[in-house]
Amino acid sequence: MSDVRPFLWLIPALPLTAAVVTGVFGPRLLRRHSHWPCILAGAGACVVSLMTFLAVHHGIRDFVVSHEGGASSQEADPHPHQISVYYEWIKVGDPGAGRGMEVGFALNADALSAMMVLMVTFVGTLIAIYSVGYMHDDEGYARFFAEVSLFLFMMTTLVLADNFILLYLGWEGVGLCSYLLVGFWFTKPSAAAAARKAFLVTRIGDMGLLLGILLLWSRFGHHLDYQHIFNHVERARQAGTLDYGLLTTACLLLLCGAVGKSAQFPLHVWLPDAMEGPTPVSALIHAATMVTAGVYLIARCTPLFMLAPDAQVVVATLGATSALLTALIALTQNDLKRVLAYSTISQLGYMFLALGSGARSAGEAFVTFAVLAAMFHLFTHAFFKALLFLSAGSVMHAMGGVIDMRRFSGLRKVLPRTHWTFLCGAGALSGFPLLSGFWSKDEILDAAWTAGNHADRYASWYLLLWLVGLITAGLTAFYTFRAYFMTFWGEERVPQEAYAHHHGHTAHGETPQLESPPVMTIPLMILAIFALGVGGVLGPTHLFGGFVAHTPGLPPPEHESLNFTMMLVSSLVALGGIGLAWLMYVRQPDLPARMARSAQGLYQLSLNKFHIDELYDAFILAPLAGLTTFLRIFDLYVLDGLVDLTGHLFRWLGVRFRPVQNGLVQFYALAMVLGLTVFLIALVSKM
Amino acid sequence: MPALPLHHYLIVGAILFALGLIGFLARRNLIIMFLCVEMMLQGVSINFAAFARYRGNLQGQAFILFIVTVAACEAAIALALILMLFRRHHSLDVSKWQELREPGEEPTEDVEPLPPAPREPPLPHLTPSGVEPEHRAEESHV
Repeated sequence: MSDVRPFLWLIPALPLTAAVVTGVFGPRLLRRHSHWPCILAGAGACVVSLMTFLAVHHGIRDFVVSHEGGASSQEADPHPHQISVYYEWIKVGDPGAGRGMEVGFALNADALSAMMVLMVTFVGTLIAIYSVGYMHDDEGYARFFAEVSLFLFMMTTLVLADNFILLYLGWEGVGLCSYLLVGFWFTKPSAAAAARKAFLVTRIGDMGLLLGILLLWSRFGHHLDYQHIFNHVERARQAGTLDYGLLTTACLLLLCGAVGKSAQFPLHVWLPDAMEGPTPVSALIHAATMVTAGVYLIARCTPLFMLAPDAQVVVATLGATSALLTALIALTQNDLKRVLAYSTISQLGYMFLALGSGARSAGEAFVTFAVLAAMFHLFTHAFFKALLFLSAGSVMHAMGGVIDMRRFSGLRKVLPRTHWTFLCGAGALSGFPLLSGFWSKDEILDAAWTAGNHADRYASWYLLLWLVGLITAGLTAFYTFRAYFMTFWGEERVPQEAYAHHHGHTAHGETPQLESPPVMTIPLMILAIFALGVGGVLGPTHLFGGFVAHTPGLPPPEHESLNFTMMLVSSLVALGGIGLAWLMYVRQPDLPARMARSAQGLYQLSLNKFHIDELYDAFILAPLAGLTTFLRIFDLYVLDGLVDLTGHLFRWLGVRFRPVQNGLVQFYALAMVLGLTVFLIALVSKM
Repeated sequence: MPALPLHHYLIVGAILFALGLIGFLARRNLIIMFLCVEMMLQGVSINFAAFARYRGNLQGQAFILFIVTVAACEAAIALALILMLFRRHHSLDVSKWQELREPGEEPTEDVEPLPPAPREPPLPHLTPSGVEPEHRAEESHV
C-alpha cells in the first residue's frame, strides 16, 4: 500500500493543472478541443483514486486478518489502512512548543475519503465526457471545462483534506465553482440572480462552519486536524472533563455549514434556482458531489456528533423536515430539472436523517450503522441522481432547451436510449425493489426505526421521523414516476424548438433524429448500469459497509442482518407510489387536474413551494432592505454631509481670503513686514 | 580718541534700514524702490561692520563683501528687468504690474496714478556699419 502514497497528490493536482491549462490556452488555442485536459485529468485522477482505494482496501484486509490472527498490530501502527501525505503549508509561531499553530496541506485517504474521492472522480469524468456533447456549440466551451476542472480540484481537496482548514479551503472553493457554473450563462438575468442566491445562501451556512471550526480549535485542544480533535474529545470524555454544552454548540455550528452546502431546510432555497446552470453542472455539483459535502462533513465528524445527542436529533429533524417538505413541493413542479432538484434535497434530507439517527445510546455499533446507511445512500444517490440529471439534460438537449414537462410528452419512441436510462434512474430513486436506491433507503429507514426503538432519549421523536421518512419514500416514488410518465408516456408531442437545429434534415423530408449523440448516451448507459447494480452488489453483501466502517474514528460495527420487514414495507410504499403515478398520469390523465381543482389550496401551496421564498422576502429581505435604505440615507446625508461640510468650510475660507492675492508687490511686502513685526513683538515680549 | 559705543552704529544701521523699508513700501517708482532695497542692505552691512569691530574679528566684514557683491549682481539684473518693463508700459509705476493676482479679482485702481513718462525722442538714425566703401578704380595700370 505504500506504493500509491507518492501519487496521492496527483488526485487534486491533475484537475488543477487541467483548469489552469484550459483557462490559459482554452479560448485561443484549444477551442473545440478544450474538453481534453479536463477529461484526461479527470480520468487520471480517477485511476489514482482507484489505486488509492485498492491500497486502502488491502490495508484493511491485512488489518482484519492480523486482528483475527490475534497479533496486536495496533500498537505498531494504529492506522494501517489510511494513506496520508503532508506538505507544509501554514506555520505560525512554534507549534512544537505549544505556541502557535501548524496547518499542513495534508491529504489523507482513509476508507471514507477513498470511497468519496473515487465516486467524485468517476462521476466527474463521466459528466465531463457527457458535457462534450451537451455543450458542443456553446460560446463558453473552454470556460466551462476550466471551471469543471477547478471544481474537481476543489472537491477532491475537500474530501482528502486531513484538517479543517484545508477542508474549509475546498468547501469555499466548490462554493465558488458552483457560483461560477450556476452563473455560466451570466448574460441571462435569472442565471445571474440564481448564482448570487446560491453563493449568498451557502455563505450563511459557511459562516457557521467557520465559527464551528474556530470553536473546536479554541476549546478542544488547539488542534485543527481531525484525528487530534477527536482524540482530545475522547480523552476529555474519559477523564470526565468534556463540556457537553460546548460540544453540542460546535456540532450545531458545523451542522449549520452542512445545512447550507447540502441545501437542507431552512437554507434549501438556493438549490432549485441553481438549475439555471448547464445540466451537467446540475448533475455534477448540485446532485452528485458538492451538495453531499455537508453529509460528508457530518459523517467525518461522527466522533463529535455521537457525543452530542441533542445536536444529532437536530440533524435528524432538519433532514426529515427537508425530505418531506421538498418531496411535497416536487409533487407539483412542472420543470423536469426542478423536480430532480427538489428530490435531491429530499434525498440529502434522508442522509441527514440517517446521520442524526445514529444515537450512541442505542449502542456504539449502531452509530456506525447509521453513518454507513447515510454514506451508502450518498454513494448510490450520486450515481442515480447524476444519471437522472444527465437524462433530463439529454431530453432538454433534444427538445431544444425546453424543460417544461407540459410542453412535451410521449418521448419514449423519440428518445429510446434516454428513455431507458431515465427509467433506470427513476426506478433507483424511487426505491424500486432490488435497485440501488432500494437498498440504501431501506438502511436509512432501518436506522431511524432502530433509533426510535433503542435510543434512550427522543425515542418517540425518532419514530415520528421514521414515519416521515416512510411517507417521503412513497412521495418520492410518486413524483419521480409522475415526471417519468409525463415525459415519456402519453401522446407524442415535441415542441417546435426541438427542430431548430435540424433544418437541414427536415428539408429532405425525413424525420429528424432527435436522440442525443453517443458521447452523451454512453456515459448515461454506464451510469445506468451503476444505478441499477451498485446498491445490490455492495449493499446486502456488506462490501460497502465492511469497507467504510474501517474509517478511523467510527466505532467498530456489528454484522447487521437485513431487516426484511422494513424491506417489505418500503417496497410496498414505493410500488404504491409508482402505481398511483401510473394511475394518475397514464390511466386517467384527467385525474390530476380534477384533484388539483378539488384541493386548490394545497395544490397552490405545493406549486408555490410553500411560499418559503416569499416568507424570506417578507421577514428577512424586506427588513434588511429597509435597514439598507436607512443606512444609505444616513450615509448620504449625515456622514457625507459632515465630510462635505469640512470641504465647504475651507472653500468658504478660501473665498474670504482670495482678495489678499491681489498681485501688488508692495502689498505683499507690507504683509511680510507686518508678519515679521508680529513675530518680533512676540519674541521680545517672551524675553 | 575713545571709540564710539556700539549702539551708535546700530542706530545708524537701523535708521538706514527703516528708511529703506519705508521707501520700498511707500514709493512706487521701480528704480526708487530698488534703491531703497539697496539702502536696507547697507543698513544691514553697517550692523555687520559694527559687530565685527565690537567683537574684534573679521567675520562681519566677510559678510559685507558678499553683500556688496550680491548687490552688484542684483543691480545689474534688476536694472535690466526694469528697463524691459519700462519698454512695455512706458512707465515705472509698480502698480501697472499686477497681473499675477487671483483670477477673477478686480485690479486695484490707482487713485492718483503717476503721470505718464514723456515719450523719449526717437533713436537717431546712424549709418549702418559694415558696408564696404566704394573703391575707385586704379587710374594707372603701370
